[in-house]
Amino acid sequence: MHNFHFQIQYSPTAICSGIIAVLVITYIGLIAVIMSYATLTIEFSQSVRNDESAVAALEGQYLSMISQITNTNYAEDEYAVPIAKIFVSAKSTTALR
Amino acid sequence: MRAQFRTRIRLVLAFIVLVTVFIIIRLYFVQIVDGQEYAQKADRQFSSGGSGLFDRGSIYFTRKDGTLISAATIQTGFLVAINPQILQNTESAYSAINAIASSSISHDAFLIAAAKKSQIYIEVAHHLSDSDGQALSALRIPGIQVLREQWRYYPGSVLASQSIGIVSYGFGDVLAGQTGLEASYDGVLSRSGDSLYKNFFTELFSNVGNLLVSPKDAREGDIVTTIEPEVQTRLESDIAKVNEKYVSKESGGIIMDPATGAIIAIANFPSYDSNVLQFVDPTVLGNPLVEHVHEFGSIMKPITMTSALDAGVITPETTYNDTGCITVNNATICNWDLKPRGVIPMKQVIVQSLNTGAAWIATQLGQDKFREYFTKIFGQKTGIDIKNESSALLGNLSTTQQVNFDNMSFGQGISVTPIQMIRALGAIANGGVMVEPHLVSTVRLNSGIERSVDWNEKIPVFSPTAVRETTEMMTAVVDEKLEGGKAIIPTMSVAAKTGTAQLTDGHGGYYKDRFFHSFVGFFPSYNPKFIILLYTNDPHGVQYASETLDSTFLDLVHFLIDYYAVPPDRGVTTASTGSG
Repeated sequence: MHNFHFQIQYSPTAICSGIIAVLVITYIGLIAVIMSYATLTIEFSQSVRNDESAVAALEGQYLSMISQITNTNYAEDEYAVPIAKIFVSAKSTTALR
Repeated sequence: MRAQFRTRIRLVLAFIVLVTVFIIIRLYFVQIVDGQEYAQKADRQFSSGGSGLFDRGSIYFTRKDGTLISAATIQTGFLVAINPQILQNTESAYSAINAIASSSISHDAFLIAAAKKSQIYIEVAHHLSDSDGQALSALRIPGIQVLREQWRYYPGSVLASQSIGIVSYGFGDVLAGQTGLEASYDGVLSRSGDSLYKNFFTELFSNVGNLLVSPKDAREGDIVTTIEPEVQTRLESDIAKVNEKYVSKESGGIIMDPATGAIIAIANFPSYDSNVLQFVDPTVLGNPLVEHVHEFGSIMKPITMTSALDAGVITPETTYNDTGCITVNNATICNWDLKPRGVIPMKQVIVQSLNTGAAWIATQLGQDKFREYFTKIFGQKTGIDIKNESSALLGNLSTTQQVNFDNMSFGQGISVTPIQMIRALGAIANGGVMVEPHLVSTVRLNSGIERSVDWNEKIPVFSPTAVRETTEMMTAVVDEKLEGGKAIIPTMSVAAKTGTAQLTDGHGGYYKDRFFHSFVGFFPSYNPKFIILLYTNDPHGVQYASETLDSTFLDLVHFLIDYYAVPPDRGVTTASTGSG
């Protein structure tokens, strides 16, 4: 029977070098993650802003249309003015109205 | 051997420590000492810059169904800047810019800018659309920088512009709200320069508390107004038509919920387009409905009447002998048509708008009581959320000459702002209680919390009985008098009063041929949803407000009934219901 015994020579220099290497890689990785995150945040933020701008433009069109409808001169568009206005007594309505 | 190893370890450790210290010092200089400079440098190198972009909260209109529509928001796009030191072919650069942003800068101005070789950054075009900015950026012309920019945009342009206000540079180089709601709520709307470039180094060691609760998010947000965009459009359109038809100096109007003080529409003509401020007359930038005082004339009579009814010195059945003209303190006060009416009841003072009747009521009320009521009603500002609100001019209340009180009883010799006037008359529509007129209902904070603005201060001034009696008289104005009785709406009671005041000549007297016309009304008379105040200053070719403003008032009443589907309050036939 042989007794297997792994014997690895850990020199302190090698351990320190290993730790440094891991730290450096971690640091570079963190920087990469942070930069990617920052880029995505900026892109997302800009995309939200662009969408808000597009909505604002649509709202501008909506308000402009309201103004156009309100200021339409129906007489100029050859609509006849009513000869008389008659108010009809309203009938009582149900709660479902 | 062991000593040599220790030395090696120490050397490695020392090296690591030195490198660490170097990196920390370098980070300190890069991010703190020179951080601003690097951020600006980065902005100028790329078209997608982000540092120092203008940002601001939004202002919203509220449609009748509760939908929010932007009244003021942020628009994004690009600006074009040149670096004259790098720019080589000026003509081709101008052609490239002009092809995309044709109206941005003149050829001569561009050449002058390009000739300034001592400068490295001159902005030559603004407000390019996203696609235009990307297209120009793609040309990669040396010396031309295409940078992201944001600016204030008002989708409604002229809509409620004097109430929404403007943003511009005040003192220093910070854009801030200068007028209207932009100024009143600047603390909520302004953003505290949160750059897209985070200072990671300082973030590590400071503001840890902000990660949990950000004081900024608890302060900054958007504001929601009570202005209804379609009603506002209608009011502005009607006011503009009146002003143009009668070539008035100015005209204005307010539509308010008398129970809450929520202003649904507020308009003045002339006004301005908030998106194009280059050629705006600075005198129209404020809000005349809050800042200017006027003598309103006979729409003051319902206030006098209600005060006397409330004080118990008269009842609706009280009569007086109308002689057409009276002399008080050597001054003559006459009815508008100079005609006597004989012995008539109080209702006719309102229906026929009799100055002698109002003066008689003021005498019955007595100077002390008159002073007490009018000081309570007009003696303080309304507290509306628009800056620069003016106070009423109530100097005549401090005198003892009866003629001054007689004049004030029908709206001459007392100057108040339109917003004060609608608040006072709103008390008649609201059971005798004055409310706080306001434009903002809610603040939507960035933290997600919606905070309702408290407008609950109510000032009781009249008894419910007194206001009901005055309301009956004002309802008779529409049912019997307005347009000869043709203005009556069989299914809706409407209370109203016209006012015509002579304009002051600036020398202590009044013009005989120049007038201020006003009109107030609310409906349904006995449970009002809306109160409307209209005025036009110095209209030409007409003498009485019933000629200038009655059709506008009635148009607004019919519009509001239709738009809000206000249920009828009278003239309803009760249909018999049965199973069938």
